Amino acid sequence: MIRSKSSILSRSCLLIVWGSAALGTPVFAQELGDGLQAHGFISQSMVHTSDNKVGGNSGDDVGWDMREMGANLSWRPNPDWLISGQILARWAGDTDEGKLRLDYGFVDRTLFADGDTQVGLRLGKIKNPYGFFNTTRDVAHTRPGIIMPQSVYLDQIRNFFLAAPGVSVYGNSEYHTGNLSWQISALRPEVNDQSLEYVFLLNDLPGHFKGKESWLSQAMFDMGGEWRMGISLGAMNMTYRPSPLGDIEIAGNHHLPTWVLSLEKNTENWSLTAEYGRTRVKAKNYNFANTDHWTEAWYAQATRRFGNNWQGFIRYDALYLDKDDKTGEGFASDPIIAGLGFKAHSRYAQDWVLGVRHDIDHLALSAELHRVDGTAWLAQAENLPASQVRKWNMLLLQAAWRF
Amino acid sequence: MTGRLLNLLLSRRPAGAPLLLLFVLLLSSATASAVDIIAHRGVSLNAMSLASARAIFGMRQVKWPDGTSIKVFVLPDESPTHGAACKERLNLFPYQLRQSWDRLVYSGMAQAPSEVSSEEELMNKVAATPGAIGYVRKVRSNDPVKIINIE
Repeated sequence: MIRSKSSILSRSCLLIVWGSAALGTPVFAQELGDGLQAHGFISQSMVHTSDNKVGGNSGDDVGWDMREMGANLSWRPNPDWLISGQILARWAGDTDEGKLRLDYGFVDRTLFADGDTQVGLRLGKIKNPYGFFNTTRDVAHTRPGIIMPQSVYLDQIRNFFLAAPGVSVYGNSEYHTGNLSWQISALRPEVNDQSLEYVFLLNDLPGHFKGKESWLSQAMFDMGGEWRMGISLGAMNMTYRPSPLGDIEIAGNHHLPTWVLSLEKNTENWSLTAEYGRTRVKAKNYNFANTDHWTEAWYAQATRRFGNNWQGFIRYDALYLDKDDKTGEGFASDPIIAGLGFKAHSRYAQDWVLGVRHDIDHLALSAELHRVDGTAWLAQAENLPASQVRKWNMLLLQAAWRF
Repeated sequence: MTGRLLNLLLSRRPAGAPLLLLFVLLLSSATASAVDIIAHRGVSLNAMSLASARAIFGMRQVKWPDGTSIKVFVLPDESPTHGAACKERLNLFPYQLRQSWDRLVYSGMAQAPSEVSSEEELMNKVAATPGAIGYVRKVRSNDPVKIINIE
């Protein structure tokens, strides 16, 4: 009931914002005076796949159930304080149904500033810096394409990695050669998520995960925009709480140390972006889900700006859920796993992507084609393991607007 | 552009090449300083490093050395003056500034600069707002702002 109310609320907001976008009159003024600002974004995508389901389509038809909407407020009463918050509603087929939620909300206090160096503290629900794009992955304009490179930015565990209540210390230093920014966060991930159970327990079980003390850090060096390079490092932790009404699984722990290296070269017309990451999946004390292996994820993308606000890109994106079993044969040879319908190709995905984008003022129109071998990043909530087709194609179209 | 012009001139008038070269060099140095970084007259600085200018226009640095707030005014991304300010003064491309603003603004980590629609409006805002910084194509001697040199 609560969900349906908030869904109606978010759909109404969506209508208002799209309506105002069409009329070219933003509903909110961006500058509200006295250090107060408002910004927002909205996007609607269309998806068609040759096989498998993405964002609510049914394989042979066109799906419209992928959209995002967010609005934020920030207030800087003086240079040393910043208070920011953003609400978000997101629709993605059966995995996200437009529930309105707090995306982030925190207080930022500058502790030290001497011109070229600042150090500060953030307290509240904070976006997790992870790779180049995680903090703004729901804002279409800031993504490297319509969907994120799924290897490094797996949508099925996005809520887990996106933002979390905690505290972080951050800093910024300006050098002659560039800008160094860093952040270290202590957090407790939000893990009340069906997709997470599919990814880490292989099924939607009656119990639930609970976030444990975790940490994430990032250092990013930006050489005048020409080169950007970074490392993100951390360890996420959670426990499974089985349902007292009966559960096949027992209480266990997941420990997920993770790192990603990021590199980008920018020129006037080209951006070359590559990221490589690994995450250790260490699960113990379970009946069935115990494991200890590393995932491997990387992508490389070349983006060309053609002028007149047109750009195109090509990307290769590869995800292996177990780097020592890249073909998935080892996984699928387990009789219990095979009995549940899992195929070897559910353990990897290699995705070639071609995309194009045209910006008209604050509106971005995009199209992209995917040719995928493997189903590792498909939502299991929409695709039963036995029904997943190994080689498949996808067309995505998107209109996005921001203010 | 300059190279093509140079080739054209040199191929037609080989005898005048040194003079033309000088002319072209003067022309190109004149276009390189076509945009001035301006600030409110109450701002105590007269010059800043390129690193500081990038930090300020990148919205990472929000206060002047005396502790007062910096207020950044910019023109729309498509404005030729904005493009010239980015490339000539900050040594950045406009898309890079836009990307770093968006990353900060939509994660709540900083605020966006104030966008105005014309150079005239930008000049008026910088003149009227204590702590303000911006840029215009040409500052006249009676304009009520100060020029900040980027070193």
